[in-house]
Amino acid sequence: MSAVGVKAVVTSGRTLKQGRGMEIGKLSSEYFEEVSVCEMDQVTFDALGIEAGDSVRVETIHGSVIVTSRLDRRAEPGVVFIPCGPYANAITGSDTEGTGMPDYKSIEAQIFPAKGEKVLSVKELLSKMVEGS
Amino acid sequence: MSKDIILTNGRVYDPMHGIEGEVKDICISDGKIVEKVNGSAKKIDLKGKLVMAGGVDMHSHIVGSKVGVGRAICPEDHRKDPVPKTKDTRGGVGYTMPNSYVIGYRYSSMGYTTVIEPALPALKALGSWEEMEDLPNLNSGLLPMFCNSMITFDYVKEGDQSGLAAFIAWTLQKVGGLGVKMVNPGGTYAWAHGVDLRDHEGEIPGWGITPKDVTRSVCKAVEALKLPHMMHFHPNNLGRVGNVETTIAQLDMIKDIKGHGGRDHICHLTHMSFETLSSVEGGDLDWGSIESGGYKFAQYMNKNKHFTADMGQITFGPATTMTGDGPFEFYLYQLTGGKWVSLAVDVELPGGAGIVPYTYSPKAAGNSVQWAIPLEFALSVDDVWRCIISTDHPNAGPFTKYPLVFSWLMSKKQRDIWMEDMHKFAHERTILPTIEREWSLQDVVISTRASPAKILGIEKTKGHLGVGADADVSVYDVDTTKVDFAKNPDKIIKVFSESFLTFLGGKQVSKKGKVKGVPNEGVLTIHPEINESLWARINKELEQKMNNWYSHSFHNYPVPDVYRKHLEKKTVIDSTSVPA
Amino acid sequence: MAEGTHENVVCTFCGCLCDDLKLEVKDNKITDNENGCAISKAKFLHHAEDRLEGPSIRSNGTSTKVSLKDAVTRAVDLIANSKRLLVYGLSSTENDAHREAYKIAEEAGGVVDNTSSVCHGPTILGAQESGEVVAALAEVRHRSDLVIYWGSNPQFAHPRHMNLHTKAAGEWIKDPKTERKIWVVDIRKTISAGVADKYIQIEPGTDLEVISAMRALARGKILDIDKVGGQSVKDLKELVEAMKAAKYGVLFFGLGLTQSKGRHRNIDAAIRLVQDLNHHTKWSMMPMRGHYNVAGANKTSTWQTGYPYAVDYSRGYPRYQPGEFTAVDMLARGEADVLLNIAADPAAHFPRDALKHMGNIPIINLDPKQNMTSLLAEVNIPTAIAGIECDGAATRMDGLPLYLKKVVEPPEDFLPDRDILKMIYEGLRRVKK
Repeated sequence: MSAVGVKAVVTSGRTLKQGRGMEIGKLSSEYFEEVSVCEMDQVTFDALGIEAGDSVRVETIHGSVIVTSRLDRRAEPGVVFIPCGPYANAITGSDTEGTGMPDYKSIEAQIFPAKGEKVLSVKELLSKMVEGS
Repeated sequence: MSKDIILTNGRVYDPMHGIEGEVKDICISDGKIVEKVNGSAKKIDLKGKLVMAGGVDMHSHIVGSKVGVGRAICPEDHRKDPVPKTKDTRGGVGYTMPNSYVIGYRYSSMGYTTVIEPALPALKALGSWEEMEDLPNLNSGLLPMFCNSMITFDYVKEGDQSGLAAFIAWTLQKVGGLGVKMVNPGGTYAWAHGVDLRDHEGEIPGWGITPKDVTRSVCKAVEALKLPHMMHFHPNNLGRVGNVETTIAQLDMIKDIKGHGGRDHICHLTHMSFETLSSVEGGDLDWGSIESGGYKFAQYMNKNKHFTADMGQITFGPATTMTGDGPFEFYLYQLTGGKWVSLAVDVELPGGAGIVPYTYSPKAAGNSVQWAIPLEFALSVDDVWRCIISTDHPNAGPFTKYPLVFSWLMSKKQRDIWMEDMHKFAHERTILPTIEREWSLQDVVISTRASPAKILGIEKTKGHLGVGADADVSVYDVDTTKVDFAKNPDKIIKVFSESFLTFLGGKQVSKKGKVKGVPNEGVLTIHPEINESLWARINKELEQKMNNWYSHSFHNYPVPDVYRKHLEKKTVIDSTSVPA
Repeated sequence: MAEGTHENVVCTFCGCLCDDLKLEVKDNKITDNENGCAISKAKFLHHAEDRLEGPSIRSNGTSTKVSLKDAVTRAVDLIANSKRLLVYGLSSTENDAHREAYKIAEEAGGVVDNTSSVCHGPTILGAQESGEVVAALAEVRHRSDLVIYWGSNPQFAHPRHMNLHTKAAGEWIKDPKTERKIWVVDIRKTISAGVADKYIQIEPGTDLEVISAMRALARGKILDIDKVGGQSVKDLKELVEAMKAAKYGVLFFGLGLTQSKGRHRNIDAAIRLVQDLNHHTKWSMMPMRGHYNVAGANKTSTWQTGYPYAVDYSRGYPRYQPGEFTAVDMLARGEADVLLNIAADPAAHFPRDALKHMGNIPIINLDPKQNMTSLLAEVNIPTAIAGIECDGAATRMDGLPLYLKKVVEPPEDFLPDRDILKMIYEGLRRVKK
């Protein structure tokens, strides 16, 4: 297992399915399936030696999260996308630089293969995030 | 129901009934002024204090989207003027754009009881009704704008006066308006096409009609509908040196239009200070050549009796300009280089407003002349009933400075004091230093109570203390027989900055500056009933036009009852004589 | 409410506030949503599902159903005993509910913030620097010959925006395919980029440099570098010339601009660029507001408190300071000791440190549906959905207010937010007496 991941900038945002999932219900399977993914380009997949659908670990200085990888044919290496939601937030910092706005859109990250590792459910992820509170 | 009240020993000024300084009782019952009350009424002995009707401010920007945008983007305007909550009032902020609660409370503590928002983009009316829910201690009303709307242009182009009148009637009904507002007719619209149209005889791009056509057509429609308030007019070419000529031309061009019922006035020209800038003989039309057009305009007004005007008095200090005159605001932004907001102008939102924070300085050449203009004018007109005090709040200054404006009108001494430190143009480019005239107290009462009520067409219940009026009363702590206001201008400011008592609909809502917050007293609207076939026609036509041009539905345009029923004080107008 | 067809219903998902939904109602359930986008359909057709259970109170990890009265009493108790109340949310409920929220914050001397602090708050900050040149949706379709989406992916976040407004024909643009160009500026090729006439890719976090360079180029300055943000200066110059040559341009911008490095400075720069362009031709801009009533929350906050968000009442009058009184900061700093959350899901949308503190404090949660915040909340009170089960007013992304209709009855005993908040406010006043 490599100790060096693929460097990328993580950005987040809406997707149609995430929006739909959100409106159906945050605890629905539609929502979970859409927000617990990381969309990446083919080159990054090759570098990681995995296939679309395998788990990956996305790590930033704020934390790490296991999500399901997904291929975005239009994407180019360097930028990966996690739909906005709890998985993206697990690796996002809270420093707003006095503006109220955290840095959601370009977080320096490293991506590691995590084949076989479980992606936590929404409830499980929440428990983990507030653990010790 | 509150107890009856009798105010005794007050010195009453009620110009609508020719009362000037007479000591008489004022009787209040069930929110109205009545002939007499029975013995169990609450007696308040005013001991010779000054009594007049509650103030009626016919032109002040207090609700609506541009006020909201202005407020939101200028937090620095509020920070130095916090207003803590009290047992009887909500907390808030000032200064030129207070939050809704503070607007209501401050007007109330000054003795005002009715304030009209003069510029509403009609289809955003729902938002204004929501805001008026939170505008305490006042009666209010809205004037929707019509003159940069494609629908208006369409009717004017076709020469379809009935259609235009019906459109106006429909809109007033559906959004609950009190009258018709015109702001830079055609000019704001042209600007959206990148055309700087300031000539009222120039073409409105794409329509083959001129601003003059629009203004004349709307003016005629207002008279055909028999609307109480005449066309409220912010003309083309505002804020430009030399525009006294274009303003006079625009008033001339409607002179022939007959007022309904034989009435004299068919137009109210607003904030004349921005429209009567003259230029020195032989000079360019630039700020260096600025000269006051106030006296010239007063002479014009004395000779031409078809309109009334309000002053738009500059008070110096911070202000926030916000008008539906987008191109003017762009021009001002280019002068200041500071913040500039431009709100959309198009068929759907015929607002085209602009916002530019601005500070007027007595040391600035242009500002000092602008200050002098409305004073020169007001002190030269024959008929004070045609000259209304205003600062076009917050454009020329905040409404809290009205007492200062009174002091300039009433005291030559005050004018001289202020002019001492002013830029020399105040002396060189105006004749104000030579004017000896001083307004009397009665003049001020006419200009701030009786006349605005008449001009708005609400004089049945507002602006006076006759039997049948709403019991909106203000009492000021001064014995007018023992004071010489002209010699003591500071007293003017002191007395009128805070009422001794303010009554709103018979409720005591302010005493010596301490306000008791009560809900909005009511929104005055007119409901022009047109005949059935015209009504059917206009509904059909508007649905089609809105389908084509708007991005929301004709059916979602009207302000729903649930937001207006409990506030609305509607007057039905018989406009059925407008042909179908 | 009436069974059958309801027309001209206002959608309550995103800032487009489309008002042409045609709904079929049968047995008090919405069975069809004609005209709504995929997300709108999801909202309206699934309105009865996944509802928040309650009212309930959570204690020691277990949630117990209680009466509304008891839930409100508990909420009042928590607020009355708090030192630093944070009221948050508001963007997915209607304006009358907001009014009650401000009253509660004022009464408690607490803070009231809405979701714009993590959405278009920076847009407001930018406007507070420079003003803004705002467009309206109808005029875009009638007049614009050049539309730019910057940091916005409308096909996903505002699904009908392009069809209804930027790809649609208007009075003076009869054939938008040939008469109007759509550009997309983004850091990755989104689906919207795929349907645009031109896609301009910039490097992450370089929006401020790129816009500033464009401003300089628009003013005729010569830059002494070749590339900015991954784009050649030569290419940028061409873009700027095209923008100056447009008759009527509109810049739609989204969270790509507000949330990335530079934040409000990005917006400030964009505003100044658009203002500059107005010296040459007509340009305006519009923020792509996410939630259907976040613009309304800014509006109601502004007229009632004087400020658009991040408002503190601890001194008895409203004070404003993003960074101090914004929700993420107050939570990340551990400053808020009670959270009253109304129609939002901060547990899903806040970064982890802020979320961690949410686990430390009692949360009162008002929402129609279960969500992540409801899993943490001590008091959960289910509410009627505005625009479906209760009426109200909301504000579109360009400032147009619209009346939300009630189409079906809410589940039994589910009240609108405004009624529940009123109960909490009145309870709070009684306690404070």
